[in-house]
Amino acid sequence: MRRAALVGCAIGALAAGAVTAVLGSRSGEKPTPALRALPRPIAPAFAPGPARPLGSLRHVTRWAPVRRAAIARREPAAHAAPVTRVGTKTPEGTTNIVRVLGRRADAAGALWVKVGLATLPNGRAGWLPRTVLGGYGSVDTHLVVDVERFTATLRMAGRVVFRARVGVGQARWPTPRGRFYIRNRLTRFAGATYGPLAFGTSARSEHLTDWPGGGFIGIHGTDEPQLIPGPISHGCIRMRNRDILALAKLMPIGTPLTIS
Amino acid sequence: MTLTLELLDRDEALLESIAVLQGDTRAELLRKAAVGGAAMLATLAAPAPASAAVSDVDILNFGLRFERLQATFYTEADEFGTVRKMPAAKQRWAEVLGAHERSHVRIIKRILGRKAGKRPFFDFHGVTETDDGFTRTAVAMEDLTVALLAGVTPRMHDRRLTAALFGLLTTEARHAAWARHIVNTTPSARSFDEPRSLDGVRATVARTRFIAAPPRMTRQKGRPRFTG
Repeated sequence: MRRAALVGCAIGALAAGAVTAVLGSRSGEKPTPALRALPRPIAPAFAPGPARPLGSLRHVTRWAPVRRAAIARREPAAHAAPVTRVGTKTPEGTTNIVRVLGRRADAAGALWVKVGLATLPNGRAGWLPRTVLGGYGSVDTHLVVDVERFTATLRMAGRVVFRARVGVGQARWPTPRGRFYIRNRLTRFAGATYGPLAFGTSARSEHLTDWPGGGFIGIHGTDEPQLIPGPISHGCIRMRNRDILALAKLMPIGTPLTIS
Repeated sequence: MTLTLELLDRDEALLESIAVLQGDTRAELLRKAAVGGAAMLATLAAPAPASAAVSDVDILNFGLRFERLQATFYTEADEFGTVRKMPAAKQRWAEVLGAHERSHVRIIKRILGRKAGKRPFFDFHGVTETDDGFTRTAVAMEDLTVALLAGVTPRMHDRRLTAALFGLLTTEARHAAWARHIVNTTPSARSFDEPRSLDGVRATVARTRFIAAPPRMTRQKGRPRFTG
């Protein structure tokens, strides 16, 4: 306490000296020798650049992990009609994530989040209590698959960064069209059918509903690259192995997927 | 259920730090404040190195982690439209602080280069989505930042880095005062700010649970079950 008081006095004296020096120099008096000997301030090792406001959110999409299983509802209210149950895991055992479409508070002030659902029919949305979701992730990427032209195009902040030819579903098992998202990434699995890497999506086959895991559509490599491009799969999007590996370096989980 | 600091901060670490910095009255006020969230900082709860062994890189990395927390907090509130719905003066406050925190992240990341730690996964438990939760959390966070910088800046070995951290400290002190002005409390309640240790701040942050375990979205050796 006494030391603090002494330090305080010293700082006060120094400040008073500085004021005197400044005033003195203005009035033509000479600065005191002690103050003349003060070194220049130490140059900071860094200084932040200009503070910039947020950029455009035009290409930003948000997602959130499901931390607790819950019923998605048609409206942001506990009594609203249920849409489907949303679990915490995907069929592959990874954390289930949902695409965030909006948010609203109910009459009691509780937050609800509108989310895209990985359920049939494809393209459904529902409302989940904010409390069952984890933190938000965001991406500025967007994958577009054109099933007519057999192409996959990845955009990052609106700029094309990847394009590849793909195989899509045959006529009897068509690749579903609509707006989906990338849910997970699987690697180092046994067997060459899916190539070296596979992305899981929220899209589901409307024809192979009894497929193990529920008939989810994947984006993956192949052991039959000679068939690409073309309508060759059970609904999945197939790429040459080098293409899926290149895509994996650019596309984060949560990326929106448009199949048109 | 409305979340409050009291609910979130079960061990009262955050309230304790606020009480130290701002007085018991302010802490009591905040206790009942709707905040929202307490599941985040498990990652930061990792054992801390002994103070004597803390290097400048350790301190800068902790600073980066904390600045990322703040920058994400303000950015989320801005992106979610929470800031847009505020009165003009408050909106400006939130936007300016967000821009400052993002610039702090950029520069510390650049200084650390390859030694910069990975970005943590944040979960603000909804506080960035309501005006009330955002504002009250911002006040507590800015005060905590000042205490952190006051505690670690004298521990830096490199004098030029120390000088740079002083620049951040005074800026954060202005943020804290502005934040407190926004909620109509005395911008400077005490004549002296007590510094907080790195470990103390680390523990406080851990208890807020704003830093969460990242979701597991990649799996190895799990056979795909897609339609093929």
